[in-house]
Amino acid sequence: MRQHSAYSRSIARSLTGVAAALTLLAGTAHADATLDKIKQRGKVTIGVLVNGGPFGSIDPNTQQLVGWNPELARAVAKGLGVEADLVQVQTATRVQFLQAGKVDLLIASMELNPDRAEILGYAPTPFYRVGGAAAVRKDSGITQWADLRGKPVCVSQGSSFAKPLSTEYGAKVQGYKSSSDSLLALRGGNCVAAVHDSTLIHPLVNKNSEWSQYAAPIASEILPAPSVVWTRKGEADTIAAVDKVVQEWHRSGWLIAAEKRVGIAPANHFLVEQQAKLKTAAR
Amino acid sequence: MSDNLMVQGVQALKALGLNYAFVLDDMERQAFVRGLGVSLQLCLLTIPGSLVVGVLLAAMLTSGRAWLAHPARAFVEVTRNTPTLVQLYCAFLVLNMLITQQLRDWGAGPNPLTPFIWVVIVVSLHKGVFHAEALRAGIESVPATTLEAARSLGFSRRQLLLRVQLPLALRFALPSLVNNLVDLVKMTAVASAIAVGDVTYQSIMIWTQRDNVLELLLLILLWFGLLTWLLSLAGRWLEQRLRMPGYGQ
Repeated sequence: MRQHSAYSRSIARSLTGVAAALTLLAGTAHADATLDKIKQRGKVTIGVLVNGGPFGSIDPNTQQLVGWNPELARAVAKGLGVEADLVQVQTATRVQFLQAGKVDLLIASMELNPDRAEILGYAPTPFYRVGGAAAVRKDSGITQWADLRGKPVCVSQGSSFAKPLSTEYGAKVQGYKSSSDSLLALRGGNCVAAVHDSTLIHPLVNKNSEWSQYAAPIASEILPAPSVVWTRKGEADTIAAVDKVVQEWHRSGWLIAAEKRVGIAPANHFLVEQQAKLKTAAR
Repeated sequence: MSDNLMVQGVQALKALGLNYAFVLDDMERQAFVRGLGVSLQLCLLTIPGSLVVGVLLAAMLTSGRAWLAHPARAFVEVTRNTPTLVQLYCAFLVLNMLITQQLRDWGAGPNPLTPFIWVVIVVSLHKGVFHAEALRAGIESVPATTLEAARSLGFSRRQLLLRVQLPLALRFALPSLVNNLVDLVKMTAVASAIAVGDVTYQSIMIWTQRDNVLELLLLILLWFGLLTWLLSLAGRWLEQRLRMPGYGQ
């Protein structure tokens, strides 16, 4: 989930450049049209990542999007006082969807990093925190990150875990096109571990019977990073409005309840921390 | 000295808006150079591999024996009509996984088939099918009178194929074979999908960290352009050399 197409990013970057240049040429300070548009239409279009499991899936009976990402998206719309229009996005193209205006916001398991912050805007209060976890065979004897030294490790191409795995832990990183390819390669014995977002790995090894011979034995996560709601660059009004909604989620404990409701296990301690922090700040 | 040159080169290109800073990073530069080599290796193995497959399949297709021709025809149709990437995924992610699991169950140790070997197998088979069709066209265009003449000289079926049909077929099919081989060189880029460290893969791994997509794509274009150009040269040279005086123009 953490992978991203750098190609799309650089295109997005040049598009942003063009847009900025046009704004300068026009000589006007650009007001945030998106929030006005959302209020006017009474509808906000939100891109959600739906890749199975508790973070987002399609209910086979109703064909509705359900799970963490869709649930949050609907709650954002409710917080903004408008209707929600959910659009499914893919990891590789989600940034283009946002840049091209096909969606107004992204709630797509997309963590905050400096590269993204350069080309996109985001609501500064994170709604979650995700790091990398390793799935390994139970008989592999791997118990900590350092055990991966010199061994082949599968990741997705563009994964932000590739760098720390090779430089800090000396693993031989192999990048596959997507997380599912990487996981299949792990099962094919081409690597000793597959490293992906913990939110992908934990449900897989804990709940999926096909993965009963695999486990995620390393207790710590690598590169834990906050998940945020993404907007286009410079949309200050939209960002402020969404951030208020996210802060309210933390304060009211709605996120902790939602996490439980959609069945994310183990519960993320980050939510409790964040709630305590915001409650003290409010006092 | 060479370090200095590289730094200057990178700075000169930077002035043009091109970010080639990765060549100053030892690890990334070495990975990229290794990628160039792996792409070349893939070509050097799949070109003869695909030609062998092509000749075998063409021989089966034109053998006139149903038990050889029918399976060959079925294989050609299936292979020709499905994308290489899908075949590679099926072979590497599915077939390879089943082999690994079976070997593990038997306690036979690790699977010796690496992603690299799978790419060589899949690309050779895929392009071999196209060679087979090109060669079949060549074999079938050998005039019946020539075959009759050879038969009347007492050539066996095998001699007929090896001494008369294939040499003529090769000449007829050479332009399409070279065409197929040029395509094959470009096709080796699918290796990047299963983490074989060819030039495309190494570039992807670099540009996902550095965002210098354009710069690396230019290098990939140049490298594949060079490889295919050399191949076309070789093809033209062969055509000249194999030309039969008095045949054609």
